[in-house]
Amino acid sequence: MRQMLFGLALAGTMGLGCASGDALAQTQTLKIWGPEQITDPLISQLWNDLKADFEKQNPDVTVAFTPPTGTITNGAVQAAIQSSAGPDLVITNSGIGRVQIVAKAKLVQPLTGYYESRGWKNQLYPWLYAELKKQFGGEIYEIPDGLDVIGMFYHKDMFEEKGWKIPANYQDFLKLLEEIKKARLQPITVGPRNNANGGHLFGNLLQISAGRETIGKVLNNEASWTDPAVLKGAERLRELVDRGYVSRDMAALDLDAAARLFFTKRAAIMVAGPWFTTNARRANFPMDKAGYAPMPTDLGAGESIPTGGVGWSWMIPTTSKQPDLALKWLDFILSDEVMMKRAQHASNWMVFPRQLKSFTPTQPILKSVFEAADKGVGYNPSVYMPGNVLDAYLQVIQGLIAAQIDAKTGMDQLKAQADRAAQAR
Amino acid sequence: MNAAASRTVPAGQARPERMVPPMPLASRQMRRNRDVGHDGMARAALFLAPALAIYGLFTLVPIGATLGLSVTDAAGLNSVARFNGAANYVSLAGDPIFWTALRQTVVWLVLHVLLAGGVGFALALAIAQLRATQVFFRSALFLPHVVSLAVVGVIWAKIYDPFFGLINGGLHAIGLDSLARGWLSEPALVLFSVNVASSWQGFGLYMLLFLAGLQNIDHSLYDAAEIDGASPWRKLLHVTIPGLRDVMTFVVSLALINGLKGFATIWVMTQGGPFYRSELLTTYIYKLAFQFQEQGRAAALCVILSLIAIAITIVFNRWREKQP
Repeated sequence: MRQMLFGLALAGTMGLGCASGDALAQTQTLKIWGPEQITDPLISQLWNDLKADFEKQNPDVTVAFTPPTGTITNGAVQAAIQSSAGPDLVITNSGIGRVQIVAKAKLVQPLTGYYESRGWKNQLYPWLYAELKKQFGGEIYEIPDGLDVIGMFYHKDMFEEKGWKIPANYQDFLKLLEEIKKARLQPITVGPRNNANGGHLFGNLLQISAGRETIGKVLNNEASWTDPAVLKGAERLRELVDRGYVSRDMAALDLDAAARLFFTKRAAIMVAGPWFTTNARRANFPMDKAGYAPMPTDLGAGESIPTGGVGWSWMIPTTSKQPDLALKWLDFILSDEVMMKRAQHASNWMVFPRQLKSFTPTQPILKSVFEAADKGVGYNPSVYMPGNVLDAYLQVIQGLIAAQIDAKTGMDQLKAQADRAAQAR
Repeated sequence: MNAAASRTVPAGQARPERMVPPMPLASRQMRRNRDVGHDGMARAALFLAPALAIYGLFTLVPIGATLGLSVTDAAGLNSVARFNGAANYVSLAGDPIFWTALRQTVVWLVLHVLLAGGVGFALALAIAQLRATQVFFRSALFLPHVVSLAVVGVIWAKIYDPFFGLINGGLHAIGLDSLARGWLSEPALVLFSVNVASSWQGFGLYMLLFLAGLQNIDHSLYDAAEIDGASPWRKLLHVTIPGLRDVMTFVVSLALINGLKGFATIWVMTQGGPFYRSELLTTYIYKLAFQFQEQGRAAALCVILSLIAIAITIVFNRWREKQP
C-alpha cells in the first residue's frame, strides 16, 4: 500500500513537472538590440509602454530590450549577431552603407517578400520604398524606423541679441562665422572623434559645394571623390579650420563633448539631426531658445537643404531564434496606433517613414526640422558608404579638422578606398 | 642441486627458493618505471585530458581556424569562404594603413614598456623603503590596475578634453595657457597621450612584481656596499638592478605582450584617429573583421601579429640569456 502511495505521489510530481515544463516552453522571449537611448528614463517609459501593449496582445511573449553597446559602424552589432546569444531583432543606425556590411556578410535576413505579403510596402513613403528597392538589386534587408534630417542648430536668443542672422549664401555665412569668432565664441562645434558627428558637418559642406545630385553620383560610384566640386567641400572644411571657425582641438571631441560646448553657449552653431533634441533635454538645455536651418549655399536656394536619409532601421539577424515573433513585432511597430503613440510622446523627435495625418510635433523646434524636411533632403554620405570607405571618410574628416592633411590628400584617400570597395564588389 | 632434481619436488614439501642473482639498481629503477609506464601513463593521460581538451578547444582549434581563414576570402558569417592562397598577405603588404599601424604598434610597445614598466620600477623603489605606510601606497598605486581599460579610456578622454578637461583646465588656471594642447587631436601627441592612459592602468602590476623582487635581494649586499662607501646610485646600478634581473626579464616580456594587445584605450579614446595616427595592428584587425567584414584579411593580420609577438619574445629572451 505504502509503495502504491509512493508511486502515485511520484507520478503526480512528474506530471506536475511536465505541465510546468509545457508552460515554460510556451513562454517565448523576443530579444531586441536597442532602441538607442533606451536608458534615458523618458524614452524607456515609451518603449516599456509599447512592450506592455505587445505582451498584452501576445500573452505568452516577453520582450527584452538590450541597451546597444554600439552600432554597425563600430562593429558592435556584427559581434552581437555572431555571438550565440545574439538578438532576435535589431534596431540600429542604418543607411545603405551600414546595411550593406551586414547584408553582404549574410548577418541579416532579406525582408523583401514581407513588404508585399504583410503590406509593409504601403506603410512607407513611396519614394522611400523605391529608394530601398534600388539598393541591393531589388532585395530589402531593413524596415526604416526613422529618417535623419541634418542641418544647423543655433542659439536663437544669442543671434537675436547680437543681431546675427543665418544668411542666404555661403560667403555671407563665412562673414557671420567671423563675427561669432570676434565675439570670442566657437563659431561651429563638432565632435568627430568616435561617431558620425564629423560626418554631419562634412556631409553638409560637401552638399552645399557640389549639390545634391553630384553627391548622389559620388555615392553611386558614378562620380569621383576627387571631382573638383566635391573637393571644394573638403577645402571648405579645411578653410573653416584654418580661419579658426572650427577649432583644431575639436578633432578630439565626441558628440557629447561637442554638444556640451553648444549647451554651455561656448559655441554658436552645431550641425546635427532632430535626435539632438534628446541630448538637449538630458543636458537641461531649453530647445525653445534654439533655431534650426539648412546650411547656406552659393548653388541656389533649392540646394540649401538638410542632408539625411534613412537613419535607423529594424533588421532581423540570420541567427534570430524568434524570426516569426520578430515579424509580429514589426507589424506592431508599423501600425498606425503605435506610430501615433510614438509621435505624440514627449520624447519623440523622429521623422517617421510615412506621413502621419493630423500630427503636430511635441517640440516647436521640430516643426522647423519637419518643414525643412518637406522641402527635400539630400545625402548624408556617412550612411551610404561601405565599411572601409566610411572608416576612411571619418578618418579624413578628423585629419582635416586636426589640420593634419590637406583636402586633396583626404579626397585621394577616399577615392582609393572607394575604388577598392568597387573592385571587391 | 641440478635442474632435474629441482623439477622433482616431493608432494607436501616446500619448493626451494630459486637462486636469483641480485638485480642491479639501474635495472630495478627501469622496471619500476616500466610498471609505472603501463599503468601510470594511462592514469596521467586521464588526469591531463580535461586540461588538454580545454587547451585544444580554446587555443589550438582557434589558431588552426585563424590560419585557415587567413588564406581565404572569408567575408561574414554565412558567406562561402574560398581559398585564395597568399592574396590576403599580399594585399596587406600593399596596404599603407597596415604599415602605418605596424610602425605605430612598435612605438606603442616601446612607450608601454618605458612608461608602465619604468613607472612601476620607479614606484617600487620609492615605496620599498617605506615601513608603516608601504601597504597603503602599495594598495593605492595598484588600484588603477583593477579598473577596466575601457573605463580608463573614458576617464582619460575626459581628462584630455581640450575645452573642459582637467589638464588644459589646470594649465589655464595657473596661467600656462601656451602649454594647453589638443592631447588627442595633435597628430604628434595622440599616440603618447593614449599610451599614458593605458600605462597608468598597467604600472601597478609591474610595481608589485618589482616589489616582490626587491624583497628577495639579500640585504647583506647593501650592507657590504654601504661599508665600501657606495653611493645610492651605485647601489642601484650594482646591487638592485642585477638582483632584479629575472624579475625584469619577466616584466619586460609581460609588458611587451600587454603592449601588443593594446586595443581598448585606443578604441575608446580615438578609434585610430586622427587620420590613422593612433591606428594599431589590433584596432585595424577589429575594423577589418567586424566593421569591414573582411575576416580573411583580419585573420592574416592576426597571424602576422602572432609572429611578431613570438619573434619579439624569442629575440628578447636570447638577448637576456647572453647578458652576464
